[in-house]
Amino acid sequence: MNGDEDQKSLFKDIRVIVFIIAILASIVFIQPGYSSEEGFNTGLNYGLDLEGGSWLQIRLQGAVAQLEADNEELAQTVLQNGIDDTVEIRQIDTNNGGLTVTFTTPAQLSSNHMDQLGVGESTITRSDNTTQVILHTSESTLITTYLTDALNAELVPLAVEDGVEYEIRTAVSEEELQQLMEEVGGNIVTDDQGTPIYREGVRTETRDLTKEILSDKLNALGLKDIPVTTVGEDYILIDFAGIDLATAKDIAEKPGKFEIRIITEGNESRHVLYGDAIQSVGIAGYNDNDGQWYTPFTLTDAGAEALQETAIDTGATTNPMAHNLVMYLDDEEVYSAPLSPSAAARLEQYPIYSWQASTGGDEESQAQAEQLQIHLRAGALPVNVELMGSGHVDASLGAQFKSQAVIAGLLALLAVAFVIYRRYNKPEILIPMVGTSVSEVIMILGFAGAIGWQLDLPSVAGIIAVIGTGIDHLVIITDEVLYEGKLPPRKVYLSRITKAFSIIFAAAATTIIAMSPLVVMGFGALRGFAITTIVGVLIGILIARPVYGKVIHEILESRAAKNPE
Amino acid sequence: MEVGLTERLDSFVRNHSDRQLATIPLAIFLVSIVVLGIVFVSSGAPVKLGMEFEGGTQISVASQETAASLEQKYADYPIVDARQAGSRVIMQFGPMDNEQQSELVRDVTATYSSVEIKQVGPVYGASLQQQAVQAVIISFIGMALVVFLIFKTFVPSVAVVLSALSDILIAAAFMNVAGIELSLGTVAALLMLIGYSVDSDILLTTRVLKRRGTPQENISNAMHTGITMTTTTLAALVVMYLVSTYSYVLSPSLTQINLLSDISIVLIFGLLADLMNTWLLNTSILRWYAGNQGSRRRKA
Repeated sequence: MNGDEDQKSLFKDIRVIVFIIAILASIVFIQPGYSSEEGFNTGLNYGLDLEGGSWLQIRLQGAVAQLEADNEELAQTVLQNGIDDTVEIRQIDTNNGGLTVTFTTPAQLSSNHMDQLGVGESTITRSDNTTQVILHTSESTLITTYLTDALNAELVPLAVEDGVEYEIRTAVSEEELQQLMEEVGGNIVTDDQGTPIYREGVRTETRDLTKEILSDKLNALGLKDIPVTTVGEDYILIDFAGIDLATAKDIAEKPGKFEIRIITEGNESRHVLYGDAIQSVGIAGYNDNDGQWYTPFTLTDAGAEALQETAIDTGATTNPMAHNLVMYLDDEEVYSAPLSPSAAARLEQYPIYSWQASTGGDEESQAQAEQLQIHLRAGALPVNVELMGSGHVDASLGAQFKSQAVIAGLLALLAVAFVIYRRYNKPEILIPMVGTSVSEVIMILGFAGAIGWQLDLPSVAGIIAVIGTGIDHLVIITDEVLYEGKLPPRKVYLSRITKAFSIIFAAAATTIIAMSPLVVMGFGALRGFAITTIVGVLIGILIARPVYGKVIHEILESRAAKNPE
Repeated sequence: MEVGLTERLDSFVRNHSDRQLATIPLAIFLVSIVVLGIVFVSSGAPVKLGMEFEGGTQISVASQETAASLEQKYADYPIVDARQAGSRVIMQFGPMDNEQQSELVRDVTATYSSVEIKQVGPVYGASLQQQAVQAVIISFIGMALVVFLIFKTFVPSVAVVLSALSDILIAAAFMNVAGIELSLGTVAALLMLIGYSVDSDILLTTRVLKRRGTPQENISNAMHTGITMTTTTLAALVVMYLVSTYSYVLSPSLTQINLLSDISIVLIFGLLADLMNTWLLNTSILRWYAGNQGSRRRKA
């Protein structure tokens, strides 16, 4: 009779209620099931090392720095490199941030030639076998052109509060950069403390763009659910579930096929150029003059000439509206628009190197322009990347790991149960203890299911570690409650159980603190271990172990009532 | 059996002076420091760094061929080592360029089944090294702070922290002696050890400082509980080690799981060191401290 009352009070206890709800919720999240084809299965996600697949860790190479140069030396170097002849600078004027450079050269220059240099608007006059050019440019344009040539990499200048910041999209050390700037009488700008304003890596926007291009490309290949995650400032991690490493590398490294064609008649079109003719792609912007969003890009010599030739041949220059310019990525149309009247007219005479693909004026057009920016790169990444690490596990090996990890966990639990039984020799202690331990594992798995956590091998190791610490804590509780094999009076029991919990809370705090660095370390390679351990310890001390304290007390009490010694 | 161990240890602690008790763990602690020092001087790191920290490529495949024949087969690549582990061969390669690596990966995945590949670039390896050192230091300092906050007295806290430090250094020295390299798994084990090792120390210190009764009685009581704790954990780890390391002996369809094997063997030795450090080193310091406090109180 006494036992019935105890049971009632047990189920009224708030700790027990929370515990039961947590267990039921966990089972819902784990979704255990059985089907004749697959056998026992759950709704849990597994990591690549258990599921099979591969992963790539990529570092974005680059540097961001503020730079300055001697304008005359800089202009001299840039123009001489571009014109391939001697250049004499006559005069340099500075006017509201811009530079007007007047120079002479023996070379014959056309305005087309100067456009191709891409350093600014120019006026050309020629007399006595000398060409005089007045060029409207800026320091940042010249520095960008200079370094683009010297490093053979893309540079993106950006005006910041105290000057212009250059993002160099390739690996360049501070020393190399300083040396290059010294050649044009300049250096890396230093801050108030005299430290050069230089850092390795790329801007956050560039990192995000790279991530987007990768995601876009993987989606385009029909590979849904391939997570591309950024880690820290310049790292990107890609998980390829079910894809082997060789294929994964191909996918990530090879650009897609980009093509521009011009409509000839109806559905017929003619090839103009491929992605290799695109020299660079700028950042999508808004044109105040015509109220349109656009994506700027430049063509190589061959590309610009091919476009001019095909446009004239197809009649796109005379009747642009009937001959749209269409862009394809991997044979899918990504953009289609007629040449603008001004471009059509100019194309009659010269090839055009700098283009703007306009998409329209509304919000959707902005998104379109940004998308086009990615497409124009044909899946090529905006920055140079370096493979930092990679991995691969066969699906069959992963399955083997999975079953063996489960075996290891179950046998570990049996071993623990054996030791406990030898120590206490009482099934009424053994069963609640092992039961509590199992319930903690169920709740960890339930938590993993609830947040969509991927269980990997480190997570399994973490679960086994939690079984270990969990049993430690249950032993502490049992030994405090069970004084010399007997249940102490209620008052002593309460002070004992409080002390037991102060010990296990202290022990749990040290474990959680000790594990926390692993959450962030090394691409989170051991995050699974750290998270399962921390979550397991928290579930243990907050939900499972208080209930054990209660249950063991009830059991011992009812037992003492039945067999008074 | 563990009951026998507890009783023997209990009588050993009762029959020896604090100084005698502390001598054994301190001697082993010093030997460990010497081992770590020698390795540090000869290699630049206190433990041998594994491929995750050095950089390189590790490929493990299921194969009936011998390690030597595979080493020969891939001689065109910078192969450093090949060894047999049950039905698998594990090959270790030095740094190579991206194309060469892709070619190797393609060849291996096309030829063998149950392939596992791990590749770490030297730059990433170096940054991992740095992060691992930071993680261990931060973790240790965090643990020490928690211990000081809990006990708020100097000597008992120092005793706990010293025992934990000794556990880690002995485990690391053991890795050198047993030829276990530092991997992500073993770093995790060392961090876990920081958490585990103080469990029994906290139990011991709380019982001795906060329970009524003589220190010796409390120590004996704590020892019963503490040794049960450590043996249950050891039982779980030994099983995990055996399953992840030697199960292939039973059936060729089973395989080694290096990560679990590394974590468990380092924790096993760390916990054995912890048994000694808790019940000899920490106990002796605590008994001496409690005795001193007691006599001071009596005088006052």
